[in-house]
Amino acid sequence: MFYALLTLAFAGVATLLFATPQRYKVWVATFCIGVLSLGAITASVAVLSGLKTSLDATIHSPIFGKEHIAVDALSAIFLLIIAVAAIATVIYSNGYLRQYLDRKSSAHISLHYFSLVLLVASMMGVVVSGGGFSFLLAWELMTIASFVLILFDAQRAEVLRAALTYLVMMHIGFILLVAAFATTFALSGEASFAALSAGALQGKSVLLFLLFLLGFGMKAGIFPLHVWLPEAHPAAPSHVSAIMSGVMIKTGVYGLMRVLWQLSGSEELYTIGMIILIVGIVTGLWGIILATTQNDMKRLLAYSSMENVGIIFIGLGTATLAQAEGATLVATLALCGTLMHTINHSLFKTLLFFGAGNIYSETHTTHIDRLGGVARHMPMTAVLFMVATVAICAMPPLNGFVGEFLIYLGMFDSVRWGVNVIPAAAGLIGLSLIGGFVVLAFSKLYSTVFLGTPRHHHVAESREVDNARIAAMAIPTIAILCIGLMPQFSLVAIERVALEALPAAQPVLEGYITPTLLHISLVALMIIILVALLYTLKQRAQRKREIESGPTWGCGFTAPNGRMQYTGESFAEGVESIATSLTKNTVEGKAVDKSEIFPTKHNYGIRHKDKIDSLFAAWWVELLRQINKRIMSLRTGKINHYILFALLFLVAIFILSLLKII
Amino acid sequence: MNILLNTCLMIVVALTITGVINRTRAILSGRKGIPFVQHLRDVSVLLRKGSVYSTTTTALFRIAPAVYLAVAIVALLFIPVADLYPLISFEGDVICFAYTLALARLAIILAAMDTGSSFEGMGAAREALYGALIEPALMMGFATIAMFCGYTSFAEIFEFEQSFNLHHTIVMLLTAYLFIQIAFVESGRVPVDDPRTHLELTMIHEVMCLDYSGIDLAMIKIAGWLKTACFAMIAANAIATTCCFHWWFATPVAILLTGIAIGVVESSQARNKLIRNTTFVVTISALATLIFFIGYLLQLNINI
Repeated sequence: MFYALLTLAFAGVATLLFATPQRYKVWVATFCIGVLSLGAITASVAVLSGLKTSLDATIHSPIFGKEHIAVDALSAIFLLIIAVAAIATVIYSNGYLRQYLDRKSSAHISLHYFSLVLLVASMMGVVVSGGGFSFLLAWELMTIASFVLILFDAQRAEVLRAALTYLVMMHIGFILLVAAFATTFALSGEASFAALSAGALQGKSVLLFLLFLLGFGMKAGIFPLHVWLPEAHPAAPSHVSAIMSGVMIKTGVYGLMRVLWQLSGSEELYTIGMIILIVGIVTGLWGIILATTQNDMKRLLAYSSMENVGIIFIGLGTATLAQAEGATLVATLALCGTLMHTINHSLFKTLLFFGAGNIYSETHTTHIDRLGGVARHMPMTAVLFMVATVAICAMPPLNGFVGEFLIYLGMFDSVRWGVNVIPAAAGLIGLSLIGGFVVLAFSKLYSTVFLGTPRHHHVAESREVDNARIAAMAIPTIAILCIGLMPQFSLVAIERVALEALPAAQPVLEGYITPTLLHISLVALMIIILVALLYTLKQRAQRKREIESGPTWGCGFTAPNGRMQYTGESFAEGVESIATSLTKNTVEGKAVDKSEIFPTKHNYGIRHKDKIDSLFAAWWVELLRQINKRIMSLRTGKINHYILFALLFLVAIFILSLLKII
Repeated sequence: MNILLNTCLMIVVALTITGVINRTRAILSGRKGIPFVQHLRDVSVLLRKGSVYSTTTTALFRIAPAVYLAVAIVALLFIPVADLYPLISFEGDVICFAYTLALARLAIILAAMDTGSSFEGMGAAREALYGALIEPALMMGFATIAMFCGYTSFAEIFEFEQSFNLHHTIVMLLTAYLFIQIAFVESGRVPVDDPRTHLELTMIHEVMCLDYSGIDLAMIKIAGWLKTACFAMIAANAIATTCCFHWWFATPVAILLTGIAIGVVESSQARNKLIRNTTFVVTISALATLIFFIGYLLQLNINI
């Protein structure tokens, strides 16, 4: 009944989309997503503000029987994330897809928008479902919808390849999830998340957790299952990358949090916490070091998403370890930090991908070494991208700092109260290294793209984008500013989730964290006021002074050009010694040799590819090729040989049936 | 009143450290040396000058010095002077301090790249790398003293131990050494960077502000002093907790110890080869981790 209604609704949306003329399809999609998001926001605000403790319903599903659909505090937070990102994405796609409307067929665009609506609906389904069939259905619909969305520009070969890699890897994760749910069903008779805390599963928590970790981790992009991330994100159109990177990855984090919530009474919680922490540190470090070596805007942002998933896992691991040792204050702090960072990342990553989309649609390239000085031609994009950059580097006035601050505070409290000192120290080293490299990667990205002088003529032809896209980018910006300048308000909702998630959790907000957060807002405000004050004083003083303009200091060289600037590749040269062990570098052409005194024109290209890529792609493909080669040697082309093979086959069948084997 | 005295003392430390460094270097080179307050005179000349702005730069270039100085001032307000109270103090302010300084670094890196010059790009790339590699040292240093003293706020960490505690003294002296090492990296002194080189190819901090002039350059110089003063005072606090926990002891220790240490190292060593610089900075981070483990073991009362 429920599924019939659902199918009918989707069929209705599809018909509507296919029937509308090309120019107005986006409004239908905006309406549908607007309705969905409004419902989601209403439900989540109702639950988070305490008006209703939870909204639930029971549905009847095939295979596993009765299932629960509920909106509790954790689902509410994720519903909010999905809703905000969905609205921003669909408004952005209005402006972004305008250039494709006359190049793509009507069916293509309708399919794209239908998949967008399906993606948003299925993501909401994932976070409200209680497990089993409905969860797996929503998960699979999410995969298929995003697959179709990635394939928007399918005439490019690399897009097709990326989408197929994505599909294959997501289905590997799906099979693992089915295995995990089936194991739960076999052990406890019910295939839902709630069944995970049943007594029958006591000894098997680690096994179940590992199955769920691999299944959800494939979606979240943990090491070494992250290979699809840097392929799929550059291939997809920018609004799709934004919603995938900002929200869809978080559904993997949601699933894992849901599993951990249920397992929090288990005895093997310490092992589980250590696994999560180690996975988090490795994922974060791998992600950010590879991000520093990338010279394609969207690949860099994709690897940065992987690094932020690492940070989320570090926070989650710290919380789990503290829970295992009974230090509930530390656990609540770290969990609040993790949830806050999840929200923050969805906001600034969406903004970053929107900015990348603006640049791509104007300059037709995402290669940072062909850009430069874009800030002069696209000032609004430059300012908004700067806000996102400062936020992702976790700098004080903005929201990224608050999330990471809470995770750090959790680890510092761990250390000072003597709870899990060594894991907390490892987490501290990991997180601070990651934070440092984020500054490197994003200052490289921002300065190579927006600052300096143009390195290619395409930049000169770019103009600022239309207002619809700027408005879409303003939505996450406002949220970033609100959370950054007034963190205590956003923490109310997050604390409710943390209190429900952890048994015997201590409320951190009233006694412990509120003065700290107030001080952080104070520091943020102080920085902003001081900057404004100092800048105004300087301007007033400079009115009486002689201000001149001139070219940049060239040390006597009188013909500077754009090619003398640092490129993305040269900015990250210092990290090269660390990064070479993690990447496979393919070099084309020859670099200028030191002994070449009057250098001629050289062509030099270097590509950094993830070493893990070959783990999933190359070795079994190579194996299949080798096997194929051996078998192909039997294909001689002579009919005599084929008759001989047929005869040998008949003899073999005869002997085997004589021996009663077959 | 307490807070006002604290802030004034921090400003005094900031203004005088450079003088001590210059005088130490002069004495060790057998020179008469420049007057003690010459650096103040230089900055006051800069404050009265006009500016030349590059046509390549945007508004970011003009705002960045204000950001750098504002952030340095806010960072200064976190640090207590021995038994006095800082203006800003809350649970976890050590983390806020570390990230506030990182904001300063981000602002100056972006401003340097704004000029579109290969010189500034060089400085920015190197500064980003060393900043990334020194972050763990800072965090582990704070973690060590937080673990040992049981607090995460500067004002509460530095407390006087009434009775002589060998473990506490060892950890505090090691932490003081670590923070002076970090001061070398953060303020761009030999052996990480040479502030007096006139070859752009060898500069790191100096080349990032190569295109700045007038009031902007003055702001950047002042902010540099304030940052050095922060680290000098943290090191001095660590030493003061072991013997004499008063502001009239900590302030001279901050000025003299850091100033003379930097002066001696600058006179006796050359700047590292840049390839070796990465190793040097990573060594400081490794040292911080080692000090953390020593502190941990001492806290567990294991005889090492």
